[in-house]
Amino acid sequence: MAQRAVWLVRHEPGTPVCGTVRFSRRFPTVEKRAKVFNGASYVPIPEDGPFLKALLFELRLLDNDKVFVESRDSCSRINKTSVYGLSVGGEELWPVVAFLKNGMIYACVPLVEQTLSPRPALISISGISQGLEFLFGMQDFLYSSQKNDTELNTKLSQLPDLLLQACPFGTLLDANLQNSLDNIGFASVTQPQKQPAWKAGTYKGKPQISISITEKCDLEGIMPNVTISLNLPTNGSPLQDILVHPCVTSLDSAILTSSSLDTMDDSAFSGPYKFPFTPPLESFSLCYYTSQVPVPPILGFYQMKEEEVQLKILVNLKLHESVKNNFEFCEAHIPFFNRGPITHLECKVSFGQLEVFREKSLLVWIIGQKFPKSMEISLSGTVTFGVKGHNKQPFDQICIGSTAYVKLHFRILDYTLTGCYADQHSVQVFASGKPKISTNRKLISSDYYIWNSKAPAPVTYISLLP
Amino acid sequence: MGPLSREAWAQRLGAFRMSPSTFMAGAESEDLGRDLLSDLRNEKLSEPTKVSLLALSLEYPDKLWPDALAAEAAATFLLDTLLLLPPRPSALRRPLLLAATTTLLVGGALSPTSGASCRLLPLLLGLALGRDVGRGFGPTSEQRLLQATACECLRELESCKPGLLRGSLGLLRSLSGQAGPIQPLSMLLALVLRNTLVVQSRSGAGLQDLLVAGVFSPGGGSWDWTLAEEADDQLLPQTPSWPAAEKEPGLAGLEPSPEEARELRAAVAQLLDTSYLLTTVAQAQLLWLLGWALRGLRGQSPVIFKPQLARLLGTAQVTLLHSVLALKAAFGEALFTAQDEALLLRRLTLAAQHPALPSPTHLFYLHCLLSFPENSPLGLEGEEAAPLLLGHQLCRSLMPDLLNDPMAFLARLHLLCLLCAEDEEQEKGQVPSPRQYLLELLAGLRQRAALDGSPQDLATLCFQASYLVASCLAMQPSVVKPLIHGLSQLYRARPLLAPRFVDLLDRVGPELGRPLKEVLWQEVVTRPGKGEALCCHLQILEKVAEGGAHRATLNFLQAAAIHCTDWGRQQALLRVCQALLRTGGGDGLADLLQGLARQLEDPDGRDHARLYYSLLVHLAGPKLRVALGPSLATPALASSLVAENQGFVATLMVQETPPPIRLSVEPHRAKGPLPMLQLQVEVLDPAYSLELRFCVQGQLYAPLKAIHIPCLCPGRPAHPLYLPLQPRRPAPAQLHVQALYTTPTGLTCHAHLPPLTVNFANLFLPFPQIPKGSERDFFERLWDSCLPKGVESCVWCPLGPQGLEALVSHHLEPFVVVAQPPTSYHIAICLPPDSMLLLRLEAAQVDGVPVVLRTNDWDLLPLAGDYIRGLAAC
Repeated sequence: MAQRAVWLVRHEPGTPVCGTVRFSRRFPTVEKRAKVFNGASYVPIPEDGPFLKALLFELRLLDNDKVFVESRDSCSRINKTSVYGLSVGGEELWPVVAFLKNGMIYACVPLVEQTLSPRPALISISGISQGLEFLFGMQDFLYSSQKNDTELNTKLSQLPDLLLQACPFGTLLDANLQNSLDNIGFASVTQPQKQPAWKAGTYKGKPQISISITEKCDLEGIMPNVTISLNLPTNGSPLQDILVHPCVTSLDSAILTSSSLDTMDDSAFSGPYKFPFTPPLESFSLCYYTSQVPVPPILGFYQMKEEEVQLKILVNLKLHESVKNNFEFCEAHIPFFNRGPITHLECKVSFGQLEVFREKSLLVWIIGQKFPKSMEISLSGTVTFGVKGHNKQPFDQICIGSTAYVKLHFRILDYTLTGCYADQHSVQVFASGKPKISTNRKLISSDYYIWNSKAPAPVTYISLLP
Repeated sequence: MGPLSREAWAQRLGAFRMSPSTFMAGAESEDLGRDLLSDLRNEKLSEPTKVSLLALSLEYPDKLWPDALAAEAAATFLLDTLLLLPPRPSALRRPLLLAATTTLLVGGALSPTSGASCRLLPLLLGLALGRDVGRGFGPTSEQRLLQATACECLRELESCKPGLLRGSLGLLRSLSGQAGPIQPLSMLLALVLRNTLVVQSRSGAGLQDLLVAGVFSPGGGSWDWTLAEEADDQLLPQTPSWPAAEKEPGLAGLEPSPEEARELRAAVAQLLDTSYLLTTVAQAQLLWLLGWALRGLRGQSPVIFKPQLARLLGTAQVTLLHSVLALKAAFGEALFTAQDEALLLRRLTLAAQHPALPSPTHLFYLHCLLSFPENSPLGLEGEEAAPLLLGHQLCRSLMPDLLNDPMAFLARLHLLCLLCAEDEEQEKGQVPSPRQYLLELLAGLRQRAALDGSPQDLATLCFQASYLVASCLAMQPSVVKPLIHGLSQLYRARPLLAPRFVDLLDRVGPELGRPLKEVLWQEVVTRPGKGEALCCHLQILEKVAEGGAHRATLNFLQAAAIHCTDWGRQQALLRVCQALLRTGGGDGLADLLQGLARQLEDPDGRDHARLYYSLLVHLAGPKLRVALGPSLATPALASSLVAENQGFVATLMVQETPPPIRLSVEPHRAKGPLPMLQLQVEVLDPAYSLELRFCVQGQLYAPLKAIHIPCLCPGRPAHPLYLPLQPRRPAPAQLHVQALYTTPTGLTCHAHLPPLTVNFANLFLPFPQIPKGSERDFFERLWDSCLPKGVESCVWCPLGPQGLEALVSHHLEPFVVVAQPPTSYHIAICLPPDSMLLLRLEAAQVDGVPVVLRTNDWDLLPLAGDYIRGLAAC
């Protein structure tokens, strides 16, 4: 369970090489073991230059990747995981765990403690999950509270020292790199016995517990969310698909088994959901849940029809009466894909304002903080498009022809759709001193799509079920 | 080189990292390791700079100190540097320990005879155990970090040299219950414990008292070098991959006593109980390590892991859930009942699509689902399958949809295919049927791929999905039919995808391949195009056109030829013709080729057309296929152009080979107007249509005719061959022989055979038409005719024990004109073109006979002399 090497590669389309290696680290003692374990199938870790080239090619991130290359694009070469084989110097380096996120490619090569031919199944290689965790850890470190390139560069320059702490020999000790950074600072603290390894030191400030519930809302039946020790009102929707932070020490079996995969009935467990845990120092997500609420918070329909040279559109939205009519913001985005820029627009909104982004072929309907008393608003009009500019207007692989959507963006503070809340008084703390407890809730839209009802929409199997 | 500044080092390290091999090939390379070490003690350099120097030595010790000797020296220097540090806090101690460990391990210098090893190991163990390791070794504030680092160093040493710390097992165990950093000690203990179990079981030894605390001897007595000294193949996989690991005998060799078993259980329980204090990645390592260590060990029940499971199942943290799957694979039913298995599958399914998790994690869990280690697996080992307990209900949430990213889509599609394949009957009650949904998805993919200007990724996905469905559901006409129809529609909409269609046809089985070829052929011949579409059509046609050339194909090609104005298109057109030739030609093809040979603008195109035409009319079907087919020896080259050319060259060019036969000249009874060489054939390899070509050095003989043999096979008797010679002068000669033949695989080969020697005697012919009864007169007339132009000579012919009579009958019999056995012989030899040699052998003595010879050709004299003198020896 170790890594032979790890890389961070910045994807830079438009440059000659299309990327640069921003960080790399090799682990020679692991490499030595790899050589013995892999035997004749051993392929050495290449230098950064050849690795970069092979990685970008395999991930189809080179600028000239527009042609069909059989060795990579053949229909039988099906890759269903983030694990790749890279062709380097006529040999294939495998397994390379790699993914692209925010323009950065995270990659590592886990040690496989046996011959690579035939290839063992990924599930049986412990280094795969460790590699993923390692890369997620680096991603979290680089992008948590990082705002610009200068900060990114600072963080990148800290990585060599951090890895001396978190992964000195290629075996990952802690995926939370921030802990390692703090560890250096805590070096002079005399630590009590049984200090968890994931807790870099002892907290010196005023004790406090801050609970934030964020419910994310989408219209496809699965809803991501975040919470702590939780209650539901009598008519609340049961929480399902609960994933907890590893610091949770025990779980009720009802929490473990409540799942959106089951058909709902009244007997479903509806709380209270108790999560005993030992908190780490940093703020963290205690648990994620989904829920199936009976009605969407905003109902609506979208009708779009092509009439000769122009599109005729009609959008109708209605806020459900049970939902708190007090938004931090609420917007409806109406994009037009695979068309030219908007040249002419005649539109009428019953409420709010309309912003037009002609070059981007996008309408943004700003609804604001409140729906009107009727709870119902509408937009109607016609749009005309110019000639499609080269790569200027957005392309979409789904929205072909009249297949189109309106996407809603909104946020409601101090509200959850499920009704889920954390009662300050029910928080039990077994520690000296009385902590300050604060709670807040919010509902945020995630993938909230309303599809054009006059054309075929991409279907999901679940939505087809009666 | 003097001490470098920080900037100079930064530049040098940057240059090295850019490409270590280039740097090491440069002039500065030799000094790098030395400079790096000496600058570690350079007081002008800051600690961070020194740390970055050490970081380099951690990554590239093999480049800096490539052999054991250099590594030993470097490690010694690093350890000295450590001791020279002032007793205040320093950021260098940890990296120095790490660097010394890495250098020794990678340089292969770790051994009981290495001074550095004998200093490092006790130092590390002392630090790990929290003991006082000597004067000035850092302030107390640093001890905890150094203790952790020492544990990590020891763990790495134990990983690379399993069993090294066996003797310290008891000590480590006693310590882990007390103070000290919990994670490094637990992880070290777990690894040493695991390795000890394996090592002891292999050697058949018991656990003895290893689990109970030993005495720490700072002299280094607790190191076990026995295994570390052995070859590298003693490495033990810490987290073995199944199913390979399942076939291992495990720890059957270990038979712990009840007390030992109890101690062991206590040690494992202690590690597991405190495991929640470890980071998640460390917990996962611990579970994986201990799980596979205890597997199959007598007296150890896997139930010890059970209390951890519920806690672990609640998180979808990727390393933790993965380690649960490893426990599942290791223990199966012994740890997971059917209900547990169902729960695990549920959690896995949930995690495979939970919106809170990132996409790479989803993909990994989907893979885990399809490779799930079931309690009672039904499918083949190593083949992806949907687990039995993963019912339709669970699968529903994992159905693919077009909004998925490509990899997730393919993984989910595979699951859907497995569901559709599982049972055709089961799905009848379901609305909508999974198969219907599958077909809709494929249609959606094709619609996207058909979009003008849509990115390549969409086309790739569409064809990968089609391939996946075809390979899983090839036997279901209700899937294959619409798939084929859809693909032909896609081709019509976007012929530019031709290379992908060709690729698909190459990969799929006949169930899809054959009908797809048919519809694509239809699509092409009914819709002739121009420009780019024409190129695509030709590409497809090359793949799908069958022999017996349909009239429609030929018409299409005929029409296309007009638009094929450049070299590339003409070649594409000719490649279709080539494909037709390969698959059987057909009536109109010859006409077409002949037409192309005149009509095409490009001379290369015309040449090719002419060549194909000649091949078509001259070669029979099988030979034609071989001539055009890909060579077996075609090297795997990236370019199909080159590959095809290679095959073509191989089949149409003559190959140089070793000779398939051996020839030898046989003695032969001369008759007829010309000397004749009788050749015996020994066949080594089968050869067809063999042509033997002979060439004589100088112009001694008229050009020789080639000999043709239809077929030669080893083991079958071969008839002798007769080669008529037409000497211009009666002289011996060397014949060069070449063989041109066809192998059974159809290749034309050429071989040089060893030269054949034509001896003087091979040219002898008897005089024809000697009048009966007047032989003596005839001979005398000849005898007289030789002079005065000719020459007479006398030669002593030695006789063997057989005497004159035997000699004559053996060598000269056909040429005897007058004989008075056993004493006198008159011999007349005709040597074409117009020479003769006359011999009188009379008055033989015991050891020889004087031979009087006359010839009309002065040049024959030395040859005849040699011949006669050598007769007895023959």
